[in-house]
Amino acid sequence: MTAAEPGGGWRTTALLVAGAAYALGAAATTPFTWPADAMTALPIVAVAVVVLARWPLRPQPAPRPEVRGHHPYRAWVVLLVAAVAWELAEYLARGSRGAHPTLSSMGDAIDRTYLLKALVFFGWLCVGGFIVGRGMRTGTSAP
Amino acid sequence: MSAVSYAVWAVLGATALALWARSRSSRATTAGPAAVVGRLATGSLARVVLVLTWMFAGWHLFAR
Repeated sequence: MTAAEPGGGWRTTALLVAGAAYALGAAATTPFTWPADAMTALPIVAVAVVVLARWPLRPQPAPRPEVRGHHPYRAWVVLLVAAVAWELAEYLARGSRGAHPTLSSMGDAIDRTYLLKALVFFGWLCVGGFIVGRGMRTGTSAP
Repeated sequence: MSAVSYAVWAVLGATALALWARSRSSRATTAGPAAVVGRLATGSLARVVLVLTWMFAGWHLFAR
């Protein structure tokens, strides 16, 4: 979808409003219960269906971003490797989870607050939608 | 130990924010997060890993 696409703005707005409402509902559920399973599984299944139906079989790589460096992705790769290494170090460290927090345990702490959980859930939905949208683009139409 | 752990997480988060800010400047040498995701979403194997990671993250955070 592009800005020039007729109705694209309304569609995006409607999706965002629906996503926010859905996130508020999902945040009211408790993990390890069937409502939480259902509210989380629905977007996962939806993304799986769209990906299988709409993503090209042989994607064209997105065009290189217009930046000055020769390695525009290197810093992010280094950061990702560092984060994964620290997550593993914390996960495998002896001691309580409080003394060695992982992304998961910090996420649990956030999930105890309804509004924060709703925001994180909404962010997760947005990231999923963004990934699906980017994957549908070919190398010739991406910005 | 937990103070050190949280400090490392904070540094990693701050680095992500700094990279994002740097990618927005007119003399950027680093791609923005959207470009990174766009590149991953159009890679043959990377897009599968990306979608599975997104699915796992949601399931782990909100369901189990």
